[in-house]
Amino acid sequence: MEGALPVAKGARTGRVAIRLSEGWFALLLVLPALLCIFVVVLFPLAYSLWLSFTDVNLLRTTGPAVELFGVRVPLFRFVGIQNYARIFDDPLYWSSLWRTLYFVGAFVLEATLMGLGMALVLNERFAGRPLMRSLLLIPWSLSRVVVGLLWVGILDFEFGALNGLLHNLGLVERSIAFFKDGFTALNVLVSVYMWNQAPFATLLFLAGMQSVPEELYSAAEVDGAGYWQRFRYVTLPALRPIIFLVLVLATVNGFLMLDLIYVLTMGGPANDTTTISWLGFQTAFAFFKFGPGTAILYTLTALCLLVTIVYQRLILARFEPEA
Amino acid sequence: MARRRVGSRLVLYVLVLGITLWLIGPFVWLFVTSISYQRNLLARPLSFIPPEVTFDNYRMVLGLVRFHAEGQASKILPAMLNSLIVGGLVTVLNLVVGTTAGYAYARYRFPLKTFSLFALLFTRMLPTVVLIPAFFLMLRAMGLQNTLSGLIVAYCSFTMPFTVWIMKAYFETVPSELDKSALVDGCNRLQAYYKVVLPVSGPGLVAAGAFTFMLCWNEFIVAQVLNTKPGTTTLPPVIAGMNGQINIDYSVIAASGFLGALPAVLLVLFFQKYMVQGLTAGSIKG
Repeated sequence: MEGALPVAKGARTGRVAIRLSEGWFALLLVLPALLCIFVVVLFPLAYSLWLSFTDVNLLRTTGPAVELFGVRVPLFRFVGIQNYARIFDDPLYWSSLWRTLYFVGAFVLEATLMGLGMALVLNERFAGRPLMRSLLLIPWSLSRVVVGLLWVGILDFEFGALNGLLHNLGLVERSIAFFKDGFTALNVLVSVYMWNQAPFATLLFLAGMQSVPEELYSAAEVDGAGYWQRFRYVTLPALRPIIFLVLVLATVNGFLMLDLIYVLTMGGPANDTTTISWLGFQTAFAFFKFGPGTAILYTLTALCLLVTIVYQRLILARFEPEA
Repeated sequence: MARRRVGSRLVLYVLVLGITLWLIGPFVWLFVTSISYQRNLLARPLSFIPPEVTFDNYRMVLGLVRFHAEGQASKILPAMLNSLIVGGLVTVLNLVVGTTAGYAYARYRFPLKTFSLFALLFTRMLPTVVLIPAFFLMLRAMGLQNTLSGLIVAYCSFTMPFTVWIMKAYFETVPSELDKSALVDGCNRLQAYYKVVLPVSGPGLVAAGAFTFMLCWNEFIVAQVLNTKPGTTTLPPVIAGMNGQINIDYSVIAASGFLGALPAVLLVLFFQKYMVQGLTAGSIKG
């Protein structure tokens, strides 16, 4: 299908037109977007990598620099792997890394299971199903700042609705402090982020379920397969590419989560919710140590790229070989 | 048999009810708190139907009444305007530049196609936060720190790859016979694109545009770091700033949060059909 447009043969009379070959015409169409991506993604990415090997002094404006389109971008003093050596020496980096891995693992598990569970329910026939699918979009369309303060309203020690409910039901004597204990706070973060993200996984799963031919289900039913057997032998195999996709998106999103930490815990109590992305963000923008900060963030980037490569291998290679 | 049917229907409706509560309960509660007095939120036992309804919180947030934290509250409306400008311009930029590229990817073979597609996929998976130090120094060098132009440039980094991808997936669903017949009818390639294909691409454009606007409207970290000067930032940092102030009642913060969330939620609900189609097609196809 793709690229199969016929090249118009012979110039039409009475018109002077510049005839570009098909390839050049298409290249011209993608050029603005590629230029944009180069300027706002690839160049900053390379520049950040460079920064992670330098001693960035924000107050110094002289020194080595590179001129780009008349803009003088400072290069700072190259210090080799000093920044990386420093962060790998810091026990906080390693404890943050393990915390990040726990966070990502728990988040991927929760988001995938909840996403799949909601999709299974919403794929059934019931009154009000279209409305339910709209509601699915609400948590997902909220800014994470709002997601955060919304859950403050539910989990807060003094005015939280959940504490109010538990009190009304007589289940607790005193309010529960959800953000006081570090491990509890970390798990609260996982769940709140899951609330925000699982609906999108549900949308993907639903799209996948709708592409399963109805005949497969009726055939399975004729063969006497019950609900769980149909799920196990018809739905699940058909969903495999989407499960991969959801796992990868959730993994990357889990690694990057930052805004909820800002609103809910600020990495505390006592660094107990400090993940790699939060540590890098704090180092760079709270303490303005750009060198070590970008080094930390670059190790995070490396983790994300690793996941992307797995994604590329597992999904693109297997399911869309011509892309 | 019939009894089992009834039983499974019951389970289904219980699950549906549970999911509904889970999905919108917290958001509804945000609204309830925003029209309540703080003292009623602190009361135990807690009344889930507000005993008193007030719009005072919204009056404070919109600067209609004076109160002790009006300095922070007075930033909300200008920040909302900034969010609107940034979101609107990034969306327009994305639709013009990204759509054109998406069309070329869907229809043509050209040098570097596979390579640049891979680069796009790669940028989609990139943590935006790693780019912020570079943006910070680059925009400072260009004198664009604390300007909306700087934010617009930065926001293209995480929206453009998505737009290209969504539009590529959309154009692949538009039959290429349409372009072919346009070429036969005497259009050149560019005309075939903007006179014939683009006019029937409304759903794709709506999906990509609404998604781009939503991402920009909701973005927090980049705006928080790049635009620190008062009056230059967007809504999420201002709402987060309210949340960070001890002396502001939660009910007032809730009002600002609800107000800030409403535009994106309404946009998504209004265009949901196209967005769900566009996003799932764009994601599932790779």
